[in-house]
Amino acid sequence: MIFLVLLRRLAEMVFVLFSISVLVFLIFFATPGADPAARIAGRGASPATLAAVRHAFGLDQPLPVQYGLMMKHLFITQDLTSFVNPGQLVIPAVLQAVPVTLSLVFGAAVIWLIFAVAIGVTAAALRGSVIDRSLMFLAMAGVSMPVFWLGEVANLITQARFHNTVLFSWVPALGYVPLTQNPLLWFKSLVIPWTVLAVTYIGLYSRVLRANLVEALTEDYIRTARAKGLSERQVIFRHALRMSLITLVSMFGLDFGALVGGGALLIEVVCALPGVGMLTYQALQNLDLPFIMATVMYGAIFIVAANTVVDMLYLLIDPRARGAR
Amino acid sequence: MKTIWLIAAALLAVMQAAHAQNHRGGTLKLVAASSDGSIDPQVNYTDQYWQLFIVAYDGLVAFRKSAGSSSNDIVPDLATSVPAPQDGGKTYVFKLRQNIKFSNGQPVTPADVVASFERLFKVNNPNAGSWYNNIVGGDKCLTAPATCTLPDGVVAGDDGTITIHLVKPNPEFLYQIALPFGAILPAATPPHDMGTIPIPGTGPYAITSYDPQKAFILQRNPYFKVFSPEAQPDGYVNEIDFEFGVTGENAVTAIENGQYDLDMDPSLPADRLAEMSTRFPRQIYINPLLADYYAPMNVNIPPFSNLNARLAVNYALNRRDTVQIYGGKNLGVPACQILPPGFPGYQPYCPYTKNPGPKWTAPDLAKAQSYMQKSGMAGQKVTVITDDEGVDPALGTYLGSVLNQLGFVATTHVLSANIQFNYIQNTNNKVQISITLWYDDYPAPSDFLNVLLTCGQIHPGSDNSVNIAGYCNKQYDAKVQAALRDAITDPAKANTEWAAIDKQATDAAAWATLFNPKQLDFVSARLGNYTFSEQFHLLFDKVWVQ
Amino acid sequence: MLAFAILIVIIAACLAAPWYAQNISQSDPFASNLDGSITLAGQPVDIMQSADTGFGVTPIGPTWTQKYFLGADDQGRDVAARILFGGRNSLLIAAGATLICLTLAGLIGIVAGFSGGFVDSILARILDILWAFPVYLLAISLSAVLISRGLKLGPVTIDSDSLLIPIAIIGIVYVPYVARPIRGQVLSLARSDFVLAAVCLGVPRARILWKDILPNVITTLIVFAPLMMALNMLTEAALSFLSIGVQPPAASWGTIILDGEGLLYTRPAVAIAPGLAIMLTVVALNFLGDGVREAFDPRAKIRVQK
Repeated sequence: MIFLVLLRRLAEMVFVLFSISVLVFLIFFATPGADPAARIAGRGASPATLAAVRHAFGLDQPLPVQYGLMMKHLFITQDLTSFVNPGQLVIPAVLQAVPVTLSLVFGAAVIWLIFAVAIGVTAAALRGSVIDRSLMFLAMAGVSMPVFWLGEVANLITQARFHNTVLFSWVPALGYVPLTQNPLLWFKSLVIPWTVLAVTYIGLYSRVLRANLVEALTEDYIRTARAKGLSERQVIFRHALRMSLITLVSMFGLDFGALVGGGALLIEVVCALPGVGMLTYQALQNLDLPFIMATVMYGAIFIVAANTVVDMLYLLIDPRARGAR
Repeated sequence: MKTIWLIAAALLAVMQAAHAQNHRGGTLKLVAASSDGSIDPQVNYTDQYWQLFIVAYDGLVAFRKSAGSSSNDIVPDLATSVPAPQDGGKTYVFKLRQNIKFSNGQPVTPADVVASFERLFKVNNPNAGSWYNNIVGGDKCLTAPATCTLPDGVVAGDDGTITIHLVKPNPEFLYQIALPFGAILPAATPPHDMGTIPIPGTGPYAITSYDPQKAFILQRNPYFKVFSPEAQPDGYVNEIDFEFGVTGENAVTAIENGQYDLDMDPSLPADRLAEMSTRFPRQIYINPLLADYYAPMNVNIPPFSNLNARLAVNYALNRRDTVQIYGGKNLGVPACQILPPGFPGYQPYCPYTKNPGPKWTAPDLAKAQSYMQKSGMAGQKVTVITDDEGVDPALGTYLGSVLNQLGFVATTHVLSANIQFNYIQNTNNKVQISITLWYDDYPAPSDFLNVLLTCGQIHPGSDNSVNIAGYCNKQYDAKVQAALRDAITDPAKANTEWAAIDKQATDAAAWATLFNPKQLDFVSARLGNYTFSEQFHLLFDKVWVQ
Repeated sequence: MLAFAILIVIIAACLAAPWYAQNISQSDPFASNLDGSITLAGQPVDIMQSADTGFGVTPIGPTWTQKYFLGADDQGRDVAARILFGGRNSLLIAAGATLICLTLAGLIGIVAGFSGGFVDSILARILDILWAFPVYLLAISLSAVLISRGLKLGPVTIDSDSLLIPIAIIGIVYVPYVARPIRGQVLSLARSDFVLAAVCLGVPRARILWKDILPNVITTLIVFAPLMMALNMLTEAALSFLSIGVQPPAASWGTIILDGEGLLYTRPAVAIAPGLAIMLTVVALNFLGDGVREAFDPRAKIRVQK
C-alpha cells in the first residue's frame, strides 16, 4: 500500500518536473534577444556564419527535438554544456555549488527554528504581556525587511563602517570558505549570511506559531487537558505545540525545499556565496538555457520532494488527515 | 672616446638585463565578476580574453606591443617580415620563421598555418562571413564549414612561404589576421570550438587550466624563445592567474589590500572612485579608449524617422552630464561624431553644440526646442532600452529625462546586459532608441563607418543586425566603397574621404554620440611597468609584480 | 490603532508627494539634475560633487533641510520626494498582488481541500508547478516580451509600463504558499469531529462549507493578508533589484533601493531610507491585521454555534 502511494507520488513528481522543463524551454525561446546562436556567433557575424552556428549547435532543429536532446544530455548522458561558456559542463558546476547552499540553509534553519519556537512559545505563554508585545513587534520588524536590503546593510556595517571596531573585526571578507578547508573560517564567514537569512523566517514562524498556539489553547481538547489537571507548561508542550506544529512543518518543508533549491538567490548574490542561488542568478543574467534548465530542475526536484515529504508528515502528525488520501 | 661609449652601452645593457632579471618572476593576479566564454582564440570575441590570448598565441603578423599610438602598427610575428601587398592588393606572401615550437613541443610548420585558416571556418569564427570569406575559397567554406579547404586561398610553398590570395583587395587584411582570430594553432587541433580545453600556442605563456566558475591560469611556455620582441616580448611574471566570482566593491577592497593586481571588469564602482583617487593616486592609470558610447536612433520608425526629432535630441543632450555619470570629467570626452579621437581619418567635428566647431561645449536647448517644434513629435511615446551593467542604467535614465524635457513621453527599460545588445539589433523588437557602446576591432575607420552604418549591415528580423539605427543611404554606401578602394593605393587620400564620410554620418544624426570613454585601471601597489596598448589595453607580458 | 494611524500617515504622505515636490523640495523628482546646485547656509553647493582628481562623482548627502532632505541619487534627484512618489507604486503593487494572491489561494485551497480526490490532485500539481517555477525567469522574459508588444487580452491592452504587470506576476507567485496551508486546514476541518457530526446529521455540504469551513479559511486569510502584503512588498523590491518591475523614471521603494545600491558606501541614506519605509509600512500593516482579526475573532462564532 505504502509502496503504491510512493509510486504515485513519484509519478506526480515526474509530471511536475516535465511540465516545468517544458515551460522553461518555451519561455526561453519566446524571449526576444535570447537567441543563443546570435550570441554564440558574436558581434557582427554575417547571416551565413549565424546559420552555420545555428546548425553546429543543433539550434536549427524543431523545438521538440531540441528539447529531447537537451533532456538526454542533462539526465541520461549528463554531459550538457553551456551555451555561453561552450564546453563548460553544467552538472559538475551545479554539484560544486550545492555544499555552499546547504551550508547556508542548514545553519540558517537551525537558527530560525530555535529562535522561532522560543519566541513563539514564550509569547503564547505570556500572551497579552509586555514581553509578548515586544517579541511580536520584533518578529514583525524581522519579517518586514527586504532580505537583500538587510544583507546590504549588514555588509555596510560589518565590512565597512564598523569593520575596524571590536564588534566586527572578526568578520572575514565576503565569500565562502569550504568546511573541509578551514572549519573556523567557514563558520565565521557564514555567521552574517545565516543571521540575515534567518531573520525573516524567525519573524514569520514565531508569529504563525504564536497565533496557532493561542488558537489551540482555546480548543476543546486543551480544555480537557486542563481539566485533567495538567500544568500550563505541559498543556503547551504536550498538546498545543504538537497541534500547532502542523502548519509550521508544512511551512518549513516548503521553505527549506525552496531555499536548498536556490531560493536563497539574493542572499547568495549579496554575500558573494557561490551557491546554487548564485548559479541560478548568473544563468538568468546570462540567459544561458542549459544552466537555467539545470538549476531550475535541481531546484524543482528539491521543492517537489519537500512537498511530498510535507504531505507524508501530515499523515504522521495529524491523525485526522489520515485516510484523506 | 668611442670605447668608453661602448663600455657604457655594454654596462647599460648588463644593467638592463639585471633589471629585467630582478623583476622576473611572481604571479600576476587578475580578477573579475564572471568568466567570458570559450578560450578558443579563433572563437572568443571579448576584450577581456583577447588581452590574455595575445600573450599565448601568435599570428603571422601582430600589433606592436607598446604604449601609445605605435601600438596600432603591424609588425612581423611568426612571419619574418610584413609583406607588401602584390597583384593590386590581392596577394600577400609571408615567410614563416624557422625553429619555433608550440607549447606542446611540436614545431610550427606551413601546414599549421594552412590548417589554422581553414579552422576559422570550421569553428564558425564570428567574422568568417564578414572578413575571412574574402580569402579565395572562403565563400565555399562558409556554406560547408565541416569540409573547408582553401587550396587556392592559402598556399604553403616548399621554402616555408605562405601565399594568401584574396578575392578582392582589402586594405584591412593584415589587421584582420593580426587579431587573436589569426592565431596559428597546431594543425591537429580539433575542428570545433574547444570551449574549456586549452589549445597549444607559441607565446611566452601557455594556458594551463580553465574553469569558467573559478579561474583561467596561464604559465610560462617552456618552449618559448624570443623571436620578435616587438610582437611577442618575453614576459616578466611566471604565471597569470585570472580568478572569477569577485564583484566590483569587493575587488576594489582586495586590490587595495594587495590580494589582486587588477580588476578586469570594465567599470569600477563609481562611488569608490573618489576614495581610490585620493588614497591611491599612484595605483590609477587612465587611458583613452577607441570607443563610442552612443544612442542609436531608429531612423525607420517614429518618432526618430523624423530628422528634426533626431537633431533635437542631439542638440539637447548635455554630453558633459553623461561623462559625469560615467565617472567624472577625466574619464571621458564629450563627442558628437562617429570616429573616436586619434583614429585614422579623425577630424574633430561637432555641429550639435552651442558654438558649432571642433569641440562640444554646451547643449543648445533653444535650437533643440525649435527642431522639436518642427518635427511635430511632441507627446510621442518613446522607450529607451538600456542594459543593467555598470553606469548604463543611469545613462538610460538620463537620456529618458532629456527626452521628457524635449516633450516626448519617455520611459527607460532596463534589460539584462546579455540580451540587450541582441535585442536592440533585431528590427522585430521595434526599438526606438537605446544606449550602447562600440569598441574598435582594429584602427580602420571602416570599423565604425562601414560596419555600423551601411545598408549591408541591416538584416531584418535577425538578432545580428549591427546597423542598429537602420541607417541606409545608397550614396553614403558608395562613398564608403570608394574610400575602401582608395585605402589600398593611397591611404592618405582615403583618410580624407573617411573624414568626409564621418561628417556625413554625423550630420544624418542616426546616432546621438555621447562620449568617448577612457579606461581606468586600478592596480595593486606592487604592479610595475604599466604599458597600455590602444588595441589590447594593459599588456601582461610587459608588467612585473616584483 | 497606532498602527492604523501610522498607515494613514504613510498613505497620506505618499498622496501628498506632488505637493511635497512642488512646495517643499521644489524640484522634479523624475528629471535628472546633474548640473544644479542649491544654497546651504548661504553657500552654493553642487548637487553632484566632483572629486578634485576629475573622476569620482558623489551626489549631495542628506541636508536635513527642505531641499534634498535625504540627499540626491545618482541622477541628482531629491530622494525624499522620490520615496513619497515611490511609496504610491509600492503600496499599489503590494495591495493589488495581495488581493489576487488571496483570492486565488482561498479558492484553490477550499476547492482542493473540500472536494478531495481527482480535483485535489490536479490542483495540487498545478500548485507544485507554480511553486517550483523560476519566478525571475518568467519576470525577465515577460518584461522583455512586453516592452515591444505590450499585452493584448481581448479588448484590454496592457502597456509595458503598466503596474498591472508586476502586480500580476507577484500576485501569482505566492499562491501556493497560501493555498497549501489552506488546503491542509480545510482537509483537517473536513475530517474534524464537528464536521463529521454535521455530515452524519445530514447537513448539506454547501451549508457546512459556508458555516464551518469558510469562516475558518477567512480567519487564516486575514492572518495571511498582512504577511502576504509584506512578502509582496519584499518581492517587488527583489524584482526591482533585478531591474524588473517599475521602469525609470517612475520609482518604487524597491527601485530606489537599487539606485542606492551603487552609492551604499558613500551615501547609504539613499538605500537605507526606502528599506526603512518598507519596514515601517509592513509593520504597521501587520499590527492592523492583528487588530482586525481580534475584532472579528471568528473562532468565537464556531464555539457559539456548537
